Amino acid sequence: MEALKNALDFSDFPRIDLVVAACGAAFILAFPLFPHSSFAMATMIQFLMFSLYGMGWNTIGGYGGQVDLGKAQYVGIGAYTTAVMLIRWDIPFWVSMPIGMSLAVGWSFIIGYPLFRLKGHYFAIATIATSLVLLDLFQVWEFVGAARGLEISPIKYSPPDFLRLIFKEDIYYYYIIAGFFFLGIFYINWFRNSRLGFQLRCIKDNEDVARSLGINVHRAKIKTYAIATAFVSMVGSFHACYIKNIEPEDTMSLDISILIALMAMLGGAGSLWGPIIGAAVLIPLKSYLKEWLGAQAGLLGIDLIVYALIIMVISAVEPRGIWGVIERIRRRRN
Amino acid sequence: MKGKGRLLIVFLGLIAISGLLIPSGAWAVKEIKIGVIFPLTGGAAAAGRELRAGTELAAEIANKVYPDLPMAMAQNAGIKSLGGAKIKLIFKDHEGNPTLGADLAKKLILDDKVDGIMGCYFSSVTKTVSSVCEQYGVPMINTSSTSPALTKRGFKWFWRTTPHDKWFTKDLFEFLNGLTDGKVRGVKAVAKKEITNIASACEKTEWGSHVSQLIAQLAKEYGFRVRKSILYAAKSTDLSSEVRSLKAARPDVMLFASYTSDAILMVKTLKAQRAHPKIIWGQDAGFEKPEFRKTLGDNIVGILTRTVFLPKVVEIKKLAGLVNAMYKEKTGNDLGGASARAFTGLQTWVYLLEKAGSTKPADIQRAANTIYIPGKELVVPWKGIKFSTSGDEIGQNTLGSGLIGQYQKQKDGTVGLEIVYPFDVSSADMIYPFPGY
Amino acid sequence: MDILISSIAAGVLIGMVLALVALGLTIIFGVMDIVNFAHGEFLMIGMYTGLLTAKAVGIDPLLALPVAAAVGFLLGVICYYGFVKFLLRGPMVAQLLGTFGLMLFLRNLALLIFGSEDRALHHGLLVGKSFDLGMGVIIPATKLAAAGLSVIAFLAVWLLMNRTKLGKALTATSLNSQAARYMGIATERMNALAWGIGGGSVTVAGALIVNFWSVNPFVGLLFTMIAFAIVALGGFGSVPGALFASIVVGLIMEIPGIWDFLTYTLSWDWMINVPMTSFKYTFVYLAYFIIMVIRPSGLFGWKH
Repeated sequence: MEALKNALDFSDFPRIDLVVAACGAAFILAFPLFPHSSFAMATMIQFLMFSLYGMGWNTIGGYGGQVDLGKAQYVGIGAYTTAVMLIRWDIPFWVSMPIGMSLAVGWSFIIGYPLFRLKGHYFAIATIATSLVLLDLFQVWEFVGAARGLEISPIKYSPPDFLRLIFKEDIYYYYIIAGFFFLGIFYINWFRNSRLGFQLRCIKDNEDVARSLGINVHRAKIKTYAIATAFVSMVGSFHACYIKNIEPEDTMSLDISILIALMAMLGGAGSLWGPIIGAAVLIPLKSYLKEWLGAQAGLLGIDLIVYALIIMVISAVEPRGIWGVIERIRRRRN
Repeated sequence: MKGKGRLLIVFLGLIAISGLLIPSGAWAVKEIKIGVIFPLTGGAAAAGRELRAGTELAAEIANKVYPDLPMAMAQNAGIKSLGGAKIKLIFKDHEGNPTLGADLAKKLILDDKVDGIMGCYFSSVTKTVSSVCEQYGVPMINTSSTSPALTKRGFKWFWRTTPHDKWFTKDLFEFLNGLTDGKVRGVKAVAKKEITNIASACEKTEWGSHVSQLIAQLAKEYGFRVRKSILYAAKSTDLSSEVRSLKAARPDVMLFASYTSDAILMVKTLKAQRAHPKIIWGQDAGFEKPEFRKTLGDNIVGILTRTVFLPKVVEIKKLAGLVNAMYKEKTGNDLGGASARAFTGLQTWVYLLEKAGSTKPADIQRAANTIYIPGKELVVPWKGIKFSTSGDEIGQNTLGSGLIGQYQKQKDGTVGLEIVYPFDVSSADMIYPFPGY
Repeated sequence: MDILISSIAAGVLIGMVLALVALGLTIIFGVMDIVNFAHGEFLMIGMYTGLLTAKAVGIDPLLALPVAAAVGFLLGVICYYGFVKFLLRGPMVAQLLGTFGLMLFLRNLALLIFGSEDRALHHGLLVGKSFDLGMGVIIPATKLAAAGLSVIAFLAVWLLMNRTKLGKALTATSLNSQAARYMGIATERMNALAWGIGGGSVTVAGALIVNFWSVNPFVGLLFTMIAFAIVALGGFGSVPGALFASIVVGLIMEIPGIWDFLTYTLSWDWMINVPMTSFKYTFVYLAYFIIMVIRPSGLFGWKH
């Protein structure tokens, strides 16, 4: 009960934040009811997915201060578990998703123990290495379709299927991921006020001091890494049912890992709203830039150039991301 | 100024009112929108350009009248049964990415409201795009993706005009057998043990991985031995490890399934490492592109490739020659397997629409399941187009066929493809064994 | 037997070229503790520079090296003064974010300018020629030349670092930038110089590599990862370590060849079906992971 109260306790935010958040929530809930193009709907679903990825990443990357660039492997574990279980044994999403999460968390423990002996760039690069190794393995593993990938047949199941999460219209997917999204926010809210969250903040400030206070640094980091993994894997399972066609190159590539980290960092690592802001800015930007600029006159790549410039400017000017800018403005006003 | 302004407004108002009063259908000739998804950028961009040119040419012929072409669709402007409605092509670039392809298909269907889809060259992209079309009940014609699995899924909205790899790979083994029986023009019977050992290198996605499996399967049936089968990433910029591995198996026959940039790289690497098998064969795709020929020049003499169309066909089919001339004028290249099949695909769309007489999906579906396009209407040397409606390969054209060509030096000094299979239409003596590097 | 010799030869040769790639990374890291994720993009730019200079001026690609070096040096210095300088003030998170941004920027700039298709060199003094050492061992001439020139370039940089005043100043800054500043060495200048030399070496490596690998705007990432593995193995900041580790990594990439050799010598047929060539880079990543966990300072490193 205590936990639930903590999860719903947003009182440490100024009133204006809560108003904006409430408006945002209202927008998210009402969006599909207004006329929209399939493109806009797809963009919104992407936004919700990446917010969740970012929120998960943020636990270890933001609050924990260890930049993790290998999250895509867990997207893959979640997505493949759900896909394989559905295709081979007709197991519904609500069963395969937790199983996927367990497998992902299990894997995170296995590589976490050695991984968390490292810090800083070494850690970051090691996470990239593990993700790439898993990607290469999936590309030759016949059980998961190797490089061909897996396809969830559009004709074998009759939508709308809430058990297996097979729908014809995007709106169902939208509300389900929105549900996860709000649950995620409450969870992270609880997390940041929890003992683990507190421990992480100590560790991030000064690891030696934290250790002298009796905090088991290694264990705290691994626990947090597991939470991040669980978030990412959950959305990965959703991804499999939504896209219905997964391949290693597509689901577990380094680009996805980088995007996840980038959005959270851009929005503001280490804050509750940061990853959401990051996704809210970058996802529509990426989609619409590509739509307007990329396809025009064969200017391939110009959308990502703008994207990259934004990242470069933010990293040089305000490393704490957009949320950092907001906080800076507030402090100046006060 | 005030007076003139008011006059302008009245004038515009009259036009607006007349636009509202006169029924919109009267002079607006309907348009048929076909979404076409090809790899216009990336490693197969060269193929994408060809595919696009072939499709555009077919649409041109359909939309205008060319009385000299002995082709039904050249005789009317637009689709006759739809009041002369013209075909409008909406091209999208999938960049070789299957998820992007599926997204584009969704956009074309839901936002652009296309009447049908065509594409996508890469079997991996065709797989996801056709899935989307099946979900939304939008007809899709596939022209150049040859993975057999695509028509084994029981889809009701997917038709494929090109024969698939099971046929083509069977052709290859028939050819190899023919070599041992002395049926190949210009070559005395070769002892089986001279060509028993096979090594294959195929790109690893949907298309190549299935070719690899088919090679292993058919080799066993026909009594050959696959010593090594490698799967590699088509996007690789270095294939020296793979070629070394192939060479290590000491094969007599090397078989490849490669897209454009990797086919070029593979042959370059084979040359650099002085490979000398007795036979080198490619499963079309990269091995058949103008880029391949232009970049490698004389180094490809002796290489065999499966193909569906090559310039020599114009000597067999007059229609092919006429269309080839138009294509050459448009692009500077001869028709090839990709462009000819893209052309045929759009042509199939035109005939389907003619037969259906409507753009309603159910009508098009019915038309597709009952249509028969005779071979003489086609540019490709097939018996015709008729889609299977029963069995385990619904939607597959059962009247197609392939050829095997060999690159040889032509009289004018350029390198071109000669037909070596089927044996009865071969156009030149085969060069055997492969001259080596 | 020829398989084994070919593989080992190939591994050593590519390793020597990779040494130059890793050199740049280790210098930059040594001097200012920043990991440059855009390193591979510099290499990619070097590849394009070599390719286009050769085509434009009509000279042999091997002669285009000075151009590549100049381009790389300038690019490095510009990146430093224009961007990286500001990153150094921020936390590590910002540095990672920043060099990522730089990576994306350079990659897509190349995409915009050059298009996404593969390009390769088809003509040149040595392109397409190879030495037949007998017993079926073939060494492509371009790789041999590239390896040789790479080692020369590597030695040149090493001499620069150890025998010239400038080089010693750089080394001093990397050991202790505060102390170096008290001695009158301008840290800013040293940082920029490190980026210049680092950038220059890797673009020269690129111009060498393009003689036998194709280039497209996306090749950078793979090389970045390989460079990281080499630097980790050799020790972040150690120049001799980079050379030694590169050869080791070059050999690691030839594990498929060594596997083939074992397969056919031992005649264990099950070995044929293991898709080793698909793992040629995987072993490099694994090596990185294992080294970092067992011995984070690498084999010769003095920085951790």
